[in-house]
Amino acid sequence: MKLITWNWFWYVLVGFLMGGGAVMIWHILKNMKLKMVWFEWILLILCFFTFMLMSQTFIASFQEYEPRAAWLSLVFMGIPILLMAVVVYRSINKRYSKIKALS
Amino acid sequence: MAKSNKKDPSSVGRRDFMKKLGLGVGAVGFGAAAYASGFKNLDKMMETPLAERKLPFWVKEVDEPTVEIDWENMEIFHGPENTLFNPASWENPQDYMDIYDRNIASTKKNVQDNVPGLSLKDRALADANCWGWGGRSGADLASPWAGADVKANPMWEHPTMFYTPEDYGVSKHEGTPEENSKMLRTAGRIMGASDMGFVKLDEKTKKLLWGKITFEDVEKGYAEPEKNKYVLPNKELWAVCSVIPQSLWMQQYSERMSWASSNTMSYSRANIYGNRLSVFLRGLGYQAYGGDTESMGRSVGFGVMAGLGEYGRAGILISPKYGTDIRTVLITITDLPLAVTKPIDAGITKFCETCKKCGEMCPSGAISMEEKPFWGGGEAYQAKGIKGWYMDAKKCYSFMLGGEPDCSRCQTVCPFTKFDDAVIHDLIKLSIGSAPLLNSAIRKMDDIFGYGEEPDLNETPWDLDPMDIPLYGLDKSRS
Repeated sequence: MKLITWNWFWYVLVGFLMGGGAVMIWHILKNMKLKMVWFEWILLILCFFTFMLMSQTFIASFQEYEPRAAWLSLVFMGIPILLMAVVVYRSINKRYSKIKALS
Repeated sequence: MAKSNKKDPSSVGRRDFMKKLGLGVGAVGFGAAAYASGFKNLDKMMETPLAERKLPFWVKEVDEPTVEIDWENMEIFHGPENTLFNPASWENPQDYMDIYDRNIASTKKNVQDNVPGLSLKDRALADANCWGWGGRSGADLASPWAGADVKANPMWEHPTMFYTPEDYGVSKHEGTPEENSKMLRTAGRIMGASDMGFVKLDEKTKKLLWGKITFEDVEKGYAEPEKNKYVLPNKELWAVCSVIPQSLWMQQYSERMSWASSNTMSYSRANIYGNRLSVFLRGLGYQAYGGDTESMGRSVGFGVMAGLGEYGRAGILISPKYGTDIRTVLITITDLPLAVTKPIDAGITKFCETCKKCGEMCPSGAISMEEKPFWGGGEAYQAKGIKGWYMDAKKCYSFMLGGEPDCSRCQTVCPFTKFDDAVIHDLIKLSIGSAPLLNSAIRKMDDIFGYGEEPDLNETPWDLDPMDIPLYGLDKSRS
């Protein structure tokens, strides 16, 4: 059995995406001197796992010879991801605007 | 000191860097997704004729092989007697027999000493996998009903092939029922069963055997086919239920003739597998009764009792892993003590009440559309004693073999019959098993997502790169 297969490169890419995203969020929040509240964390984590599931379904459905399932997975999982992301963004932005107005 | 908000235009700040990094990884991610979705089109743009082999990038074709050949002086071999392993032309034939004797002696000693990798069960498995090459049971692929009667070819390369424990001078294999079950499952995977379950024959489960099979106080069972007499010994017996997979990849083209090669090839593999299992059990010192896929009893019934799946609307077994895409459950009866596997509940029969997809898609209307399962026995093709749905076999056969296109739509469209690549299928099955309220929505989503539809007929197996075809047609994600 090969210890490292060609899939390894995909895992590294996903790792980079996840790590890059996490660092980016941390950096933005730090710059804005903001802390996320509990429901924002929950929504963000849900966003993350739904995104992972959507990506996996999208690629795997093509492997399964199911192109329609692949594209529809983007719609059915992408919309909730977008909605959750918008809620988190607006919530943070609202708080940031208040802090900014006070300062 | 307050931090200046002004940026040095020539510098790249951490924030800018992270933005660019984010854009970069996003672009790579998008590119990767686009590649995954569109690589077939890219392939088409760059495609070479399908007859050309696709070699790994580090391999190049050359005009002459890398071994030097002198075609002018090439000696022509008269036949296989010149080849490496055929010593017929050796100067002293006794040399050959001496090697044979040494081989028999060392093989026996290894079995007697229970040497790991060369013990009785290892020899039995090796012999089982040799079936069809070093020895066979007759012209028919199916194993004899009363078990393997293979005879080793005394001049064969491996002289101890098809030895029994008595031949080795050892007692038969001993293990706990749990150890024996684990051993059989391991051997089964190697020999060609994708899954395996075990049912103890008792007063209830004996009713799943054909009625023509009787029990007598004999040491070993026997068959007299001319009298339609099949006898099992009155002793503790177990049914080894082996799932013989078929190719979903080929089965997708279910209304074309190509389905038949998926279907029929699975039957022939079942017969080869049945022989191997029979030889394996014989090599361990135990009895095996089997024959072909229809020799013993109800494959769906044994499959349900062995926990290999649940009873489905079309009257066929539905496995949580393979869906309906099981060609058969091959039944082999043995006296090797086994730990039984219990029936399962994955919410499948319950899901069938709501789903009805096989019934709706069946072109012959042979599948019952009753919502709830019912006690049968009143009409043709209905068996007493089972609360289920019943298929009108005559309608099914009339369509399938009566000049219309071939068919196995009920298997292909079943929502449980899926490839195993996408993780989402496991989540759906989790929901079916634990939250049946969502079953109706799951069935609707199955249709919307296009599952069970016939694939693009402009890209049949004949149009693919041969190296993209799974070996034996068995799906890489499900076998």
